[in-house]
Amino acid sequence: MNEIGTEVTPQAGSNIKSLLPKAKQRERLRRWRGFKDGTSRNVVWAGGVSVIVALGLIFVYLFSEIVPMFLPASIERASEYRPPLPEDARIVHVSMERYREVAFALAKDGSYVFFRPATGLPILEGRLAIPDGVEVTAFGHGEPRTRLSVLGLSDGRALAVRDAYSLTYPDGVRLVTPKIEFPLGEEPLPVDPEGRRLIEVAIQEGVRGFAMAAATDDGRLLLSQFTARRDFMTGRTTLDVDTVELPSLDAGITRLLLSIDLRDLLVGDAEGRLTYYDVSAPARARPVDSRQVLPDGFEVSALSYLLGTVSIIVGGSDGSVTQWFLVRDDQNVRHLTRIRDFDPHPAAVTSINPEYSRKGFITADAKGNVALKFATSSRSLMMQNVVNERPISHAILAPRNDGLFALDADDLLHYYEVDNPHPQVSFRALWQKVWYEGRSQPEYVWQSSSATDEFEPKFSLVPMTLGTIKAAFYAMLFAMPLAIMGAIYSAYFMTPRMRGMTKPTIEIMEALPTVILGFLAGLWFAPFVERHLPAVFSVLILMPLTMLVVSFIWAKLPRGVRKAIPDGWEAAVLVPFIILTGWFCVEMSPHLEIWFFNGDMRQWLTDQGITYDQRNALVVGVAMGFAVIPTIFSIAEDAIFNVPRHLTQGSLALGATTWQTVTRVVLLTASPGIFSAVMIGLGRAVGETMIVLMATGNSPIVNFNIFEGMRTLSANIAVELPEAEFGGTHYRILFLSALVLFVLTFFLNTAAEIVRQRLRKKYASL
Amino acid sequence: MNADVSTHAIDPSTMNKRRPGDTVRSLSRETPCFEVKNLDLYYGKDAALKNITMMVPAKRVTACIGPSGCGKSTLLRCFNRMNDLVDSCRIEGQILLDGANIYDKGIDVPELRRRVGMVFQKPNPFPKTIYENVAYGLRLQGVNNRAVLNEVVERSLKRAALWDEVKDRLNEPAFSLSGGQQQRLVIARAVAIEPEVLLLDEPCSALDPIATARIEELIDELTSEYTIVIVTHNMQQAARVSDYTAFMYLGELIEYDDTQLIFTNPKQQRTQDYVTGRFG
Repeated sequence: MNEIGTEVTPQAGSNIKSLLPKAKQRERLRRWRGFKDGTSRNVVWAGGVSVIVALGLIFVYLFSEIVPMFLPASIERASEYRPPLPEDARIVHVSMERYREVAFALAKDGSYVFFRPATGLPILEGRLAIPDGVEVTAFGHGEPRTRLSVLGLSDGRALAVRDAYSLTYPDGVRLVTPKIEFPLGEEPLPVDPEGRRLIEVAIQEGVRGFAMAAATDDGRLLLSQFTARRDFMTGRTTLDVDTVELPSLDAGITRLLLSIDLRDLLVGDAEGRLTYYDVSAPARARPVDSRQVLPDGFEVSALSYLLGTVSIIVGGSDGSVTQWFLVRDDQNVRHLTRIRDFDPHPAAVTSINPEYSRKGFITADAKGNVALKFATSSRSLMMQNVVNERPISHAILAPRNDGLFALDADDLLHYYEVDNPHPQVSFRALWQKVWYEGRSQPEYVWQSSSATDEFEPKFSLVPMTLGTIKAAFYAMLFAMPLAIMGAIYSAYFMTPRMRGMTKPTIEIMEALPTVILGFLAGLWFAPFVERHLPAVFSVLILMPLTMLVVSFIWAKLPRGVRKAIPDGWEAAVLVPFIILTGWFCVEMSPHLEIWFFNGDMRQWLTDQGITYDQRNALVVGVAMGFAVIPTIFSIAEDAIFNVPRHLTQGSLALGATTWQTVTRVVLLTASPGIFSAVMIGLGRAVGETMIVLMATGNSPIVNFNIFEGMRTLSANIAVELPEAEFGGTHYRILFLSALVLFVLTFFLNTAAEIVRQRLRKKYASL
Repeated sequence: MNADVSTHAIDPSTMNKRRPGDTVRSLSRETPCFEVKNLDLYYGKDAALKNITMMVPAKRVTACIGPSGCGKSTLLRCFNRMNDLVDSCRIEGQILLDGANIYDKGIDVPELRRRVGMVFQKPNPFPKTIYENVAYGLRLQGVNNRAVLNEVVERSLKRAALWDEVKDRLNEPAFSLSGGQQQRLVIARAVAIEPEVLLLDEPCSALDPIATARIEELIDELTSEYTIVIVTHNMQQAARVSDYTAFMYLGELIEYDDTQLIFTNPKQQRTQDYVTGRFG
């Protein structure tokens, strides 16, 4: 019998000797304890603060890389002078070479000069062989990169010239040596057989040789093609000219444009119309489409192709600037289509010239304003008054977009430094449908690079953002039911011993490197799924069915048989059946294909109009689901397991079955934990890189088809960042997509935390 | 040791004030509710209850007292088979409820637990509203008719003497109530499904004296309709509220008789020692 009563404790002042340390020792201990307490508090505080600071710095860094993309362009006056040409010569053309060390100016009387852009000092002067009594009446130039210009003469002939630069490095110093070239010979070539005055000319150098379009003062439209022939015997080159007369227009022709493939001719007229001629077969050339591009009473005052001669920028005498291109219709006929409008000028547009390497251009107007605009992003980056209230006749950009010339009506040349590094990005270009060159409608496209220089980069973040969501969605679709159901089973129905084995096993799955999962998914699972497509679906149907049937039969078995398996180990009975079902489905797969899908389910899907990629969302869903199951399972299991026993007992004591208790009390109470498990899993799925990189095919498409792949933000960064030019627009856009990813996960986690806190408050248990 | 035992002794005049004129009761004259026959209970190899045989009378309050670890809570949990939840628990013997062994194979345990309600030591309302807590048991039985639920919730809360305090805040979380209120809410939740028996497992041990008094009053009122079995550490409480008292010690039923007799004139020396506070 145990004796229970009040314990005798030594009281202060009693005669029992205290066993506590001496007062002095205790004092020392208190100080030491206080020191440890304070130190640990400070260390924890410092750790917490530095985490927040580090996070903030990541944000700041990402922002610092992104902000330059959204700044407007700026120009800075460098100098102004009259190019060193004869006093009475009217300038028709100016250009700059790549390094802005040498500039070129061509005058109406045939005189030309190479000079220093910064100072206007001449380097090389000369005069073209223009016969006496003949005037230069028209001027045109080809693609800026070809540096090709053409002078139309009053006798119906034309002279093509090219300002060329050779680069040498004597003594390791760059030396740019200019010279003038005559690609079609120094003598003017006859364009108009009738010898009438040319009022507009256009030239282009294509792979098939040179072509020239010209309008004469009697309203005829001519197209000449030049073919060079080299005589084997004499070694002399002769040039054949083949000129055809095209059906003309009623209105006066104001501008001509020839595409670089020498297939399209565009004609702007005084009535504000743009007419498209298909000149791929010059003899049969005719106007295909004609569009009123300006309101009544205005004329096409400036017209230019952009880089690649696909987009046409139309400048009107009303100051409007619009972009057009030829879009194919259902009958494969191309029509002029208005693509977008830019911020208008306050006065008639006098000059439009493209950038050399991007889809940007410079515009100038009759009131002395120049503006920088960009086609893809629809941005007007800058507009500035360069010459006070006087017309600008020419405005051109340096090849590397770092300088500009504006030539005013008095032939005074204004030279500006330009800072316009990132015109390609705008909210619209990133997040809205953009009508890209060569496409039949506006689309979301990500295509950051290509083999050609004329390529228009397509920087829509929509495909990757949707791809990220798609990958995460299918991963969660696979992982969430399995993980949560598994957690419920393990926390509530398993014996402690089985739980003790199952839980660590699943948690160890988390340590599996995702690169291995991605590798298995991409190289083994994706082809397997492709070959056994019916198996995937029969597993989906048969597996739960098997489990139900086996459980049902198990419940109906006599007690003696059931006793053979200890309580809580029933799940083990299922294992062989699950394996058997899986094997059965795979074995049946070829037969199912023969019976229902004409022998090939993949082909059958394609016939149904469903695209099937080998590396698709199904594969990613399973592989990435596999990666997030441990996370969700582990946290959800803890949450469910930690629901206070007194709540479940309270429920059971009220006559609830275990299942009722689980659904009505346990899940409710554990809901904050389960919710955060799901959100952490989702956060992981959104940020996961290796699996999606290896198993998705990385095609940036915009759809939710389970049989097609996707490209996620994270995979995109991993794929493209090593190849992006440091500090370039592409590079910065990748940083932007990193920020989007960051914001996406940040937003998800914050929302999750708020919901979790509210749930926790609502379902807090004692 | 234990020089001052008189403070633990029970003054018989404070006991069972409900029926002051009553003579000593006799179990043999009561209608049985539960009949426990040779009940042994083992946790693994350790016997927690040894050969318990007792009869729990219907519509009476039966108290179980005894020192910690004597098996009184274990015995209580046998009446609604809550011990089934303990993995290593094994039971031999019988408990008859209305003549049927509740440990028979065919017994529907959730239905048994509906008939034999239980209130735990610590108030355990669900993380739901006051209303939903009381309605929970009915919803388990498939009742979802709002009018029926409303009536049952009101009736149960009134029976648990909580209605006046909560009638304006039925949709607030149950955790907004005080401990005593929560315990009465749990009792309301238990009576809502019209059980025949209420098992109270130290229902007042987490409550302050005023809340305890309210619960004790409530037990008094409920006894007209329910058979009540209460486990308590508080001997005054046992003396105050119960008609019969069982004294248990080390898994054995030492003495079981009318409460007055147990506290004033126990037959066993150990009972005498315990009720006078000689050990606890």
